[in-house]
This record gives sequence, structure tokens and C-alpha cells, in this order.
Amino acid sequence: MSQTLARSRRNEALLAYLLLAPSLLFLVMFTYWPILRSLWFSLHDVLLGDPKIYWMGDENYRRLLADPLFWKTLGNTAFYTLITVPTAIVVALLLAVALDSKLRGMAIYRSAFFYPVMIPSVAAGMVWVFLYAPAYGPLNSALGALGLPRVNWLYDRDWALPAIMFMSIWKYSGYFMLILLAALKLVPSDLYEAAKLDGVSGWQRLLYITVPLISPTLYFVTVIGILHSYQIFDYVYVMTQGGPADATNVLTFYIYQVGFQYQDIGYASTLANVLLLFVLGLIGLIAVTFGRRVHYLGER
Amino acid sequence: MTSTKSKLTRRKLLAAGLAAPFVSSMPWVICPTHANEVVKLQFMYPVGVSGDINKLVTGMIADFNAAHSGIEVEAIYAGSYDNTEQKVITSLGVGEPPAMWLPINSSLQTFLGLDALEDVTEQAKADDIYSDFIGGFLDTAVSDGRLYGLSFQPSTPVLYYNKDAFAAAGLSKTPENWDELFDAAKALTIRDGSELKRWGLIIGGGWHDWMFEAYCRQNGLLPWEKDKVLWDRPEAVEALQFWKQMVDAGCMAPASTWQGSANDFMAGTTAMLYHSTGSLTNLRTSSPFKVGVAFMPKRKNWGASQGGGPIMIAKKQSDAAKRAAWTFARWMTSTDVQANWGKATGYLAVRKSSWETDLMKSYVAEVPEAKVALDQAQYSGAFLQVPAYSRARDLLKSAIDRTLTGEIEAGAALTDAAAETNREIARVMRRRG
Repeated sequence: MSQTLARSRRNEALLAYLLLAPSLLFLVMFTYWPILRSLWFSLHDVLLGDPKIYWMGDENYRRLLADPLFWKTLGNTAFYTLITVPTAIVVALLLAVALDSKLRGMAIYRSAFFYPVMIPSVAAGMVWVFLYAPAYGPLNSALGALGLPRVNWLYDRDWALPAIMFMSIWKYSGYFMLILLAALKLVPSDLYEAAKLDGVSGWQRLLYITVPLISPTLYFVTVIGILHSYQIFDYVYVMTQGGPADATNVLTFYIYQVGFQYQDIGYASTLANVLLLFVLGLIGLIAVTFGRRVHYLGER
Repeated sequence: MTSTKSKLTRRKLLAAGLAAPFVSSMPWVICPTHANEVVKLQFMYPVGVSGDINKLVTGMIADFNAAHSGIEVEAIYAGSYDNTEQKVITSLGVGEPPAMWLPINSSLQTFLGLDALEDVTEQAKADDIYSDFIGGFLDTAVSDGRLYGLSFQPSTPVLYYNKDAFAAAGLSKTPENWDELFDAAKALTIRDGSELKRWGLIIGGGWHDWMFEAYCRQNGLLPWEKDKVLWDRPEAVEALQFWKQMVDAGCMAPASTWQGSANDFMAGTTAMLYHSTGSLTNLRTSSPFKVGVAFMPKRKNWGASQGGGPIMIAKKQSDAAKRAAWTFARWMTSTDVQANWGKATGYLAVRKSSWETDLMKSYVAEVPEAKVALDQAQYSGAFLQVPAYSRARDLLKSAIDRTLTGEIEAGAALTDAAAETNREIARVMRRRG
């Protein structure tokens, strides 16, 4: 009896592994193997298009520490992440709360705010290049009509990165909003009713009931947001190519430049490894700070 | 009309349709290996100037394929010069390069470093290449006395100017030296209070390092050698300081983009423009005013660097493919094809005989501007042919941008950029041993 049970357990485990095997295979082939390879390449002089590689030891890493452009792109990346992720989440939360009501036509508003998410990023980038155009762009026309000074947006060293950040907040808020909206639906309405009876203001209800109860989702959205923020490559590529004077150059774009434009795969691998460390570190930091304070309804 | 009995019944048609996938998977049916085998070649090309180049190239390829039964060329539009180079190098990395490609001439050392290029010196000598090509153009594909491609679309930057704007500002002649350029730019700039209506001058962004090399040459310096760049020399620093003065005076745009600057000129937002001669036809025919073309003003002497590039042939392919590729490169640079191409774009026809055709003669008579770049070409040479040129270009552009926005002083910016570039060149040279 127990033998057959053990066998069926074993079979079950075998089946599980079998079902997992395809995705594991892809994970190894397209994630773990490239990571190992880029570690190996970062210790070599590797030229794209040339099969010969030469051992360099830690030269690429010493070069990285002394590379002003690396520090600049790292700074730009950090600035971008630290501003856009919290802003997009706050905007998304406010939108979600505002749209979480049973008014007529609410679905239309929700679709409208979600719409930017569905636009392919290259197309969105091109549209914003037009919106930001210094001479004929609508944004500058509006500023001019209000009597405000016109801005050179994507050609201005100080404005180019904020301009891309603004656009990316516009693009991602709707996505976060949708996820948060789903979480809001799960908050028991009797809590709000009780709070209302006790005369708790709307703002306090948001801070002390809504936010704690949807904190698992907020946590998830934060992590996703940080991961997304490394994928701004598309916007930088389409809108500025890292310019003017590297003001919008971020780590992912710099890696592309070094690897494919300069054919320096060894150094590009070094940069990629540092990016990996940076992302892991940031996510780890979020996990031990924010992650510890997440409140799971009905658990623990 | 009686219903004719077609031999092709519906049933047969269906059967054929069903059979087709299986038949095509039998290679001996579709590709019989007899003497008339068609050689298929891929040709990767960029569009580097303003105008409808794609349509022109596609037409040329169709003409070539129609005239050569044994060769089928597939033209692959690969984006900018940078994109094209990346695609070719990536495909070299996996051992399957296209048969031919068209890069910027600066990439010569990069491709030679990858041992990717077929040496075409002997074919060229046996042909009329050395006698009929305009010497300066052929030189851009020469390294250590060997020829690695056939110059296809050489260009230089030229000074485009809005003739109406010149007349309105009371300027009777084009600037011939830097001081006159400065004065003209100041006279042509129009501001309404703080708002700018028209720049005096825009130097086409994205390729402003190419223009900068022209300024160095005009100041008596070829700013690179085979294995290093010389941007930290006083002649180069002086050139960048001159740009900064014009920007500070408010008569030259501090930054622009390649297509954007051409659009600005056509829209009348700038009165003068440094752009490639390859944009001539588009600028001339699309502008609502009379367009003038002049030499870039000089300092010590006239000077320019050649843009555009040669058709290069891959080394790693069969001899049959190499022969076919040579036939194609030879055809693309033949007398009449070059005359047509030059007239349609503004690129300089590479052959002396092209300029002697009736087509070209009547074109030059009608549009004398077309000859300005050719005349200027005798003061020009190859552009930045150093190893790691792509990084060198970005470092130089960044140094120029940072200087013009006031972040750093010209001398310091160029010294840093030169030192960094020379380190990179040394690193790439070390690989070659």
C-alpha cells in the first residue's frame, strides 16, 4: 500500500520535472548560459566578428572604474529609476482609486488610461519626438501660447532625460493602474463602511486602509517597475541615441554602443555584469526594506 | 462565347497546390545543378543622406538583375551607415557575411582588422579602374597599396546657402574664409526679441565630426595618422574655439540632427547649412527658394574629408560568388550608372568618363552647383581611417557637444577625447599583434 503511494509520488515528481523541463531548458539556454558566458568574456579581449579571444584578467574591470562615461550612464540610470518608478506608482495609485467606482462609462476611462501601454514603444517614441519638436512641436506651441519660454526638450542637456522620464511615466502608469485596480477590488468594502461611520476622511482611508491592504501588489509593481526601467533602451535609441553629449545615455544603451557599435564585446560584457549586480542589489534592497513590511491579508 | 475547356481544371489546380510544398522541399527539382546556375548575392546598403535613395537603389538592382541572367542580387536596406556596419559585422561573427556591402570609407581598417575583405587590386588593374576612376576617390579604399573596394558614392560636405536670404541681408558674395563666414552668419541670423526665427548657420548634426575634420584640414592639419588621432593639436583646438565663438554669438545652432538640419534649411530656419553633397538634389528641388552651393570657407587653405563609401566584397565566399560580386561592383560603378546616380542624388560620379557623358554635361550646364563638390574634392582625402573609428567618432562628437554647450573648454575636451581614442586604438592594434 505504502509502496504504491511512494511510487505514485515519484511519478508525480517525475511528471513535474518533465513539465518543467522545456522552460528550464530555455532558461538555461537563454539566461544562465549567457550570464556565465558574459562573465567569461569580461575577462577577455573579445571583438565582435572575430572568433579569437585574448585573456586580459581584470583589465576590463579596472577600465570600467576609470571610465567617466560608465559613471555618467550609471548615474543617469539611477536617476531615471529613482524618479520614474515612485512617480509612476503614485500616479497609478491615484488613478486606480479614482477609477474604482461604479459610475457609468468607467470602462471608457480605464481603457483611455491603459491605452498608452498598448502602443509599441518605438511608435510611442516617434510620437513624442514630434510632441517635443522645438520648432513645430505642440508642446512648445502650447508653452508659447501661454507666454512661457520655449524649451529645446530632447536637444537640451538638462531637459532631455526628464523629457524621456515624463514620457515613460505616461506610458507605464496605465499598466500599474490596471494591476492596482485589480488589487483594490479585493479590499473588503465593510472596512471602508466602518471607517466612514467612524468619520475617517477619504485621505486617511487611502493611507491607512487601502495602501496597507494592497501592499503585496504595490511591492510587486515596484519590482516590475525597476525591471522595466532598465528597458528604456527603446526610447533612448529612438528619441536621442544617448545625446546630447550623453545626457540621456543609460547603461543598457551604453552596453549596446560598446558591444555593437564599437565591437568591444569584452567590455560590453563587463558593463552587463555590473548592471546585473546593480539590479540584483536594488531588488534585494527593496526586498529587505519594503518587502518585509508587506501586509498579506489573512496570513501570518 | 462558348465555354472553352481549359486543360487546367480546378481539381488539377488543387492537386498542384497540395503538391507544391513537397516538390519545393526536393531541392533537385527546383535547383538543377547544370551550367547555368544562378549565383545569388546579398548586398547590404545604407541611406546616408536626405532624399528618396531607396527607390533609386532598388531600381538599379532591378536593372542589373535584368541584364545579368546568371546573377541575382538581393538588395538589403540596412538603415544608417552605423546600422549597416553592425549588421555586416554581426553576420561576419557567425561566418555568413553578405556578398557585398556599402559602408562608410572610415570603416576600412575595422573590416581589414576582421580579415573580411577581398583584395580586388588585380581585377582592378586588369580593368580600367585605375585609369578611369578619379584618383582621390579610389584612394579611400586603399590600404598599404592594395585596393579593397570600388568607390561608389563619394561625397564631401559643402556649404548650402539660401540665395533669397543672402539677397535680403544684402550679401553679394558667399563667404570664402572663416572670418567672412562668421560675419555672414551674424548678418543672416534673425531674432524676434529672445525668440530665434532663423539661424545664420547650422552644421549638420550627427556628422559634425566629419565637418570638424574639414575645419582641421582647412586650418592645415590632417587630424589623424594610421594609428592615432591628433585632435589635441593647436590647429584643431583653434577650429573648435571658432565654432564656440559662433555659438556664443548666437548665430550658429549649438546642436542639430542630420535629417533635422536638412529640414531646417528647406523650411528656411537656417540660412546656411553644412551638409553632404549627396543631399544636393533633394535640397535643390525641395526648397521653396533658390539654393546656392559653395566651397566650405577656408582658413589657411581649402579642405574637406570624403564621406560616402566603396562597395566592399566579402573574402569568405565561393570564387563564383566573388566573380559575380565583382561583376556587380563593376556595373554599379560603370560610366552610365554613375552618371545617372550622380545626377539623381548629388553624390559625385566616380569615373572621369561619367562626367564626359552627354547626360552629365547637360546636367552640369543646367545645375552648375553640381560641380562645386567635384572641384572641392581635389582638396579632400579619406575620413578618419583609424582602427576603432566608430568609438573615435563618438568621443569626438561628445567632446564637440560638451564644448558647444559650455560644459568644458575646447582644449581640455579635445585633449581628453584624443587621449581616450588613442588608448582604444592601441587596444585594437594590440590584438593584431
